[in-house]
Amino acid sequence: MKRYIDFVEGIGTWTGKAFAWCILIMTLAITYEVFVSKVFRDPTEWAFDISYIMYGTLFMMAGAYTLSRDGHVRGDVVYRLWKPKTQAAVELVLYFLFFFPGILALMFAGLEYALESWGYTEKSIFSPLGVPIYPFKTIIPVAGTLLFFQGTAEVLRCVICLRTGAWPPRRRDIEEMESILRQQREDENQGAREHGGPVEEPKP
Amino acid sequence: MTDPQVAIFMLGIFIFTILLGFPICFTLIAMGVGFGFYAYYQPEQIFFDNRIFDLLVNQTYSVMANDVLTAVPLFLFMGYIVERANIVDRLFYTLQIAARHLPGSMAVAAMATCALFATATGIVGAVVTLMGLLAFPAMLKARYDTSFSAGVICAGGCLGILIPPSIMLIVYAATAGISVVRLYAGALLPGLMLAGLYMVYVVGRAMLNPKLAPPPDKEATDIPWTTVVVMMLTSFFPLAVLILCVLGAILFGWATPSEAAAVGAFGGLVLAAAYRALTWNRLKEAVYLTVRTSAMVCWLFVGSWTFASVFSYLGGHALIEEFVLGMNMSPLMFLIVAQAIIFLLGWPLEWSEIIIIFVPIFLPMLKFFGVDPLFFGILVALNLQTSFLTPPMAMAPYYLKGVAPPHVELMQIFKGCMPFLSMVLLAMVLLYNFPALTEWLPTLLYGK
Repeated sequence: MKRYIDFVEGIGTWTGKAFAWCILIMTLAITYEVFVSKVFRDPTEWAFDISYIMYGTLFMMAGAYTLSRDGHVRGDVVYRLWKPKTQAAVELVLYFLFFFPGILALMFAGLEYALESWGYTEKSIFSPLGVPIYPFKTIIPVAGTLLFFQGTAEVLRCVICLRTGAWPPRRRDIEEMESILRQQREDENQGAREHGGPVEEPKP
Repeated sequence: MTDPQVAIFMLGIFIFTILLGFPICFTLIAMGVGFGFYAYYQPEQIFFDNRIFDLLVNQTYSVMANDVLTAVPLFLFMGYIVERANIVDRLFYTLQIAARHLPGSMAVAAMATCALFATATGIVGAVVTLMGLLAFPAMLKARYDTSFSAGVICAGGCLGILIPPSIMLIVYAATAGISVVRLYAGALLPGLMLAGLYMVYVVGRAMLNPKLAPPPDKEATDIPWTTVVVMMLTSFFPLAVLILCVLGAILFGWATPSEAAAVGAFGGLVLAAAYRALTWNRLKEAVYLTVRTSAMVCWLFVGSWTFASVFSYLGGHALIEEFVLGMNMSPLMFLIVAQAIIFLLGWPLEWSEIIIIFVPIFLPMLKFFGVDPLFFGILVALNLQTSFLTPPMAMAPYYLKGVAPPHVELMQIFKGCMPFLSMVLLAMVLLYNFPALTEWLPTLLYGK
């Protein structure tokens, strides 16, 4: 079971991280566009299309990666007070009620939508260059599929937690600044306490 | 059940599910699909021909191809780059010296650092924790009052979501369908006003009660002004110029918000390189964090737009509208009630959920009360400052508590935030009485 979770999360994480670099392409492409259009008055024909294609791709493809990091917002006022087992039991039910139906709809409806676009090799209407749009629309079913498999991994996490009473640890990854700093702080305090020294200089 | 009743039932279940703590964007998608299937159900149709499936992909695609939201990941990227550019300590140290003759100089410097850094990054958690590690111990060491110092850092750190260029305002503009540029122009003066009110409060308290903020030692203030100027030039001005360029380009119409954001992110990269902070690892961190936060915000949009179109197709909006209009409220009453609800929502929820999911419920009613959506948006933005400072989900005090010395109690931090909450309230009252604060700049720049 752990191997399946690792495998699925590995794929989701790798894909999310790979497409994350779209932000750099987007930054450089738009900066270039601003430069040539304002300085040489010679705007590019592709910059507008690139900007929303990169933006749409990066956030859609990162849906599963974000889920595997527990990064989607949840109102956890009540949730956080529960024991891990209760959390897992509730979440397990909710995955079947509120996750899979929507994501399956997104996968299959998205597939139909993308196939239709492939059917007439749809081009962007925003530029004379005619940037192809059908690969971009294909992102919808692909992102849906990634989310679906990440969802199965999350369900298995719930099962493990129900059996052992503790959430299986998430893989190590880059954290927000505040979590890193808080962690460092806690480690320092821990270390100081273990060595018997004062945790912090006494208040003056 | 009639359709509008089903819609209200749908909203009820949704709110209940939020409390259960399931990731909100997926709840919205699934409930949108489920109730939408019911709403668009026609007996003679086969399963997959139900219109809800078209609606779902169309809403998803309209989020993916939205030309306002493209600015969100770019501003986030700029924020994460600037956050990691080793800039805060320099900035705080410089401002502390520049402000050394003012009462409560360290608090003034901390507030100014927070405001500037928060405006550049727009990430509350990072500002509060970095300042909590840097300025907070320094202030305590200089025998500043614990609550007072904590309040300064928490309140200052939250300014980034209000003062343009802020991500929250882009999200509101996308939700309300108004121009980001006008919203930025409208939010500029109120944002600076709130920062000014905070500053007045800090200096005022320090003057009235010098025990809260003892002046620095004599030798520490004896620094030639040339040194101060050089320090300002290397730490304060580069960041200030970056923000002013981004904001100026947007306000004067030289660039769209996305273009300005991209150039800002590029500028952030250059700045980080100039401070020798642009390592491969930091770039990687910034890229990955950007993608995660963007996914969080934008998937919420995918869910919310699907949910909202089903909700309004079932007649939910109309029912709420009828109910609210039936109460015969004056515009002032309506504003007070709406803001009070948003204030209460700010206790358990974060700004992204409030703006993307709950604010759209109020938006269609604004026209009946003659309230400008832009004005409403700025009131909401001011109001949401409080959502970071009020328990039980007060993010800013928790961030600070996480990095503060162990003897600092959470209650002391909350106590320090209270005066700043009243400043927010004062700012909202001022804004209501002098709408020119928001209207003057957009009208001046772009006409009516």
